[in-house]
Amino acid sequence: MSDRQYPAPVQRFFRFFVGNSVVERILISIAALITAVIVSSLIVLAAGYLSGEAYNPLEIFAVLVNGAFGSPFDLDSARLFTEGWSPVNFSMGTTLKETTLLIFAGLAVAVAFRGDLFNIGVQGQLVLGGLAAALALVWVAPFVPGGLVGSLLLIPFGLLVGAIVGGLYGAIPGALKAYADANEVITTIMLNTIATGTAFFLVSAYFADPTLQSVKTKAIPDVARLNGIIFPQGGQFSLVALVLALLATVGVYYVLRYTSFGYDLRVSGKQAKAALYGGANAERMVVSTMSLSGALGGIAGAMWSMMVIGAWRQGVPSIGFDGITVSVLAGNNPIGVIPASLLFGVLKGGSNAINFQLGVPPELVAVLRGMIILFIAMPEAFRMLGNRLGIKPSQAAVTGGGGDE
Amino acid sequence: MAQTTQPPEDDTGGGTDPGPAVKMENITKRFPGVVANDQVTLEVERGSVHTLLGENGAGKSTLMNVLYGLYQQEGGTVYLNGQERNFQTPQDAIDAGIGMIHQHFMLVDTMTVAENVTLGNEPRKWNGLAYDAKSAREAVRELSDRYNFDLDPTAKIEDISVGEKQRVEILKTLYRGADVLIFDEPTAVLTPQEVDELFRIVDELTEQGKTLIFITHKLGEAMEISDDITVLRDGENVGTVDPETATRESLAELMVGREVMLEVEKEDSQPGETALSISDLVVENDNGVRQVNDIDLTVREGEVLGIAGVDGNGQSQLVDSVVGLEVPDEGTVDLYGEDVTDISRREHIERGMSFVPEDRQARGLVMDFDLVENALLGNQYDPDFTSGPRVDWEATRDHAETIIDRYDVRTPGADTASESLSGGNQQKVIVGREILRDPDVIVASHPTRGVDVGSIEFIHDQLVELRDEGKGVLLVSSKLDEVQQLSDRLAVIYEGEIMDIVDPEEVTDRDVGLLMAGEVPDEYGGGNE
Repeated sequence: MSDRQYPAPVQRFFRFFVGNSVVERILISIAALITAVIVSSLIVLAAGYLSGEAYNPLEIFAVLVNGAFGSPFDLDSARLFTEGWSPVNFSMGTTLKETTLLIFAGLAVAVAFRGDLFNIGVQGQLVLGGLAAALALVWVAPFVPGGLVGSLLLIPFGLLVGAIVGGLYGAIPGALKAYADANEVITTIMLNTIATGTAFFLVSAYFADPTLQSVKTKAIPDVARLNGIIFPQGGQFSLVALVLALLATVGVYYVLRYTSFGYDLRVSGKQAKAALYGGANAERMVVSTMSLSGALGGIAGAMWSMMVIGAWRQGVPSIGFDGITVSVLAGNNPIGVIPASLLFGVLKGGSNAINFQLGVPPELVAVLRGMIILFIAMPEAFRMLGNRLGIKPSQAAVTGGGGDE
Repeated sequence: MAQTTQPPEDDTGGGTDPGPAVKMENITKRFPGVVANDQVTLEVERGSVHTLLGENGAGKSTLMNVLYGLYQQEGGTVYLNGQERNFQTPQDAIDAGIGMIHQHFMLVDTMTVAENVTLGNEPRKWNGLAYDAKSAREAVRELSDRYNFDLDPTAKIEDISVGEKQRVEILKTLYRGADVLIFDEPTAVLTPQEVDELFRIVDELTEQGKTLIFITHKLGEAMEISDDITVLRDGENVGTVDPETATRESLAELMVGREVMLEVEKEDSQPGETALSISDLVVENDNGVRQVNDIDLTVREGEVLGIAGVDGNGQSQLVDSVVGLEVPDEGTVDLYGEDVTDISRREHIERGMSFVPEDRQARGLVMDFDLVENALLGNQYDPDFTSGPRVDWEATRDHAETIIDRYDVRTPGADTASESLSGGNQQKVIVGREILRDPDVIVASHPTRGVDVGSIEFIHDQLVELRDEGKGVLLVSSKLDEVQQLSDRLAVIYEGEIMDIVDPEEVTDRDVGLLMAGEVPDEYGGGNE
């Protein structure tokens, strides 16, 4: 357990990250954000110089933020705010849509991390959860009355199907780890490929909408979709979904902090031997943690089908992988997943605007996005790595206790 | 950096520079919230064995880390052979002839003894292009012979015993030219035989003029081996004494700051019905080797059954099978007549079995969690601390505070992380939690290992009190005096078998020692139960 076996510079490096309080971590994140802005500004200037365009980094970041929220600021005139701006607008909807999906994916990864499991398979759980939800809704909707009653029945049903299928698909790598000692990192990566392939095959062979050329299921009936409330129709964002995401965050926080199951999960994640000593069943904990993680991923998939596409089609965006970064950014804290997802949502929503309004190539915008994520995620990633290496925040905590290790 | 590729010449002491080998004057070292060393002065004579004795957290290791250059003191001066020296890094200290043998070995398992000893100061050949394995081996062999270390330079670290690994560590410091050797709790990881071997080596080293500093909290070994004993308490030097005139009691009193009962006082036991019964128990390891070989034991209500033995003779496997952490390969464990062999660990807890594990930092406590969260470990499904699936954190906090109060846990509060407590206080948290569960049977595995004297007394009293309340106590310990004093019946385990069950009042140390070594004493009255 001693941290002496690592060279002093390594220890010093990780110790800087390991010992921080929550406030310090937030401050570090903000400092990282500022650094990222400065460094990417230099890249923008360099890229502009090389390509002969005059890119203005300040303008780019202004448009990034402004674009993400539907131009609340008037950048062209002396007035600060745009006249008649309302928070309910298309761009805001896009940003919040991304945020909502990422909250679920981020929670899925965070739950697994808290149990010391690395679920890279959220993407696969999301793909299959989304497909199952779409198919189930297409199939069941005709038997259910329309109108509000129908929506109240079908939407929870669709999400439930997504959660169950995603959960079962998460349980597979869990069981493989618990009972066959197969590393979940490897199995979940493989299961991602299997999920994508299986979904593609099922839809193209059996469930494709015959009127379409593409690999896409029949459309989910309107009554079963998460339609825009308040936010404009067609904006692919439903406020209901965001509210559900926030509720899910609180729910996950509650489960981890206030239930016996959550206690077992956290102890298993911190110290597996102590969990066994305390009466937790190691195998069952791995399977149930992965199932819970998969279920959250499945809900993300169901939301994508029911809110964004209105069906299931091939080419599911990499929400599940982004969830990993979101979770790391959030320090695997469920509550932290909300701002982390929002940051991602802003970056995604705003980058379109940069391209449209300033003609900056999308590749360069992607570089900027990547820089910001990298800078903010690294301190947390170092912290996790330091903890994993067993490096303690300082030598000060215990003195002279050499005899008790 | 001095690249010592040849072993140094002996410093046979004396010489032109009299005075102490090491002198530390008014050393003060603070950590946030604690003064670890408060104006500590220490003088170590050349060629002597000087023991730093103190409870966990008394500041012994801190003081030595200042000497070794790991910490920089806020006040005070370090003198080496009369010259003022303050080391910025351990490398500075090593260059000046100080070596430290840590409790946790820093050896590369897959490399040989010679490679490990020379690592960092390798002899080279071909103008420094290649490692000169031959001269490394010879240098190590020569050093090993000179001090009678009995080490094979070509043996791989992974193949040698713990005691031998420690000797490799010592050799490493000698190879680098150390004249002053600091041993940090060197006996904590050794078997009794290996301790004897270490003490022989200690004599060898001092005879050849080396100066040795021993960090320990064990009274017995301090008295056995030292020329001088300096006792630290709460970061202060409370006295340097001569082991010839000191007694265990006087040393304990100095360490703890009050009178300590080293002997356990207890009434005769009043055994009742059988609480725990172990029959024909067999535990095999992955290779099919029997680590517990056909053990039968019973623990009755109101008695302490002690299990004595050298570590690694199957005690851990036996205990794990009894408390539900391992399912034995054969045999049964009954709790009040009910077969509990196959039931889960949680059910064991629910049926009233408490367990003080030997490895408190891996099992008994979650080091990152505060004491409130640790008070819940094992109780997380107990209706007293939950309502349905929900944890009642209020009740848990009250419980943590009860443990802190009743078991005299020295901590700033219940919200303190358990890793910042000293070993003794960590152990008190576990013992308190396990006893307050109101068990029928308690299994205590090395309950006082690494615990300071004051806490040992307290934990012993608690176990005896449980016994007097009519609980069954199964006590496993490698400390002979501990099991002898606490047990009503004493079983000796050797290579997974119970050699005999003896009356601890009647049996002699020598006979128990022989049984622990797997021999049946001659003219020996005892017999199997």
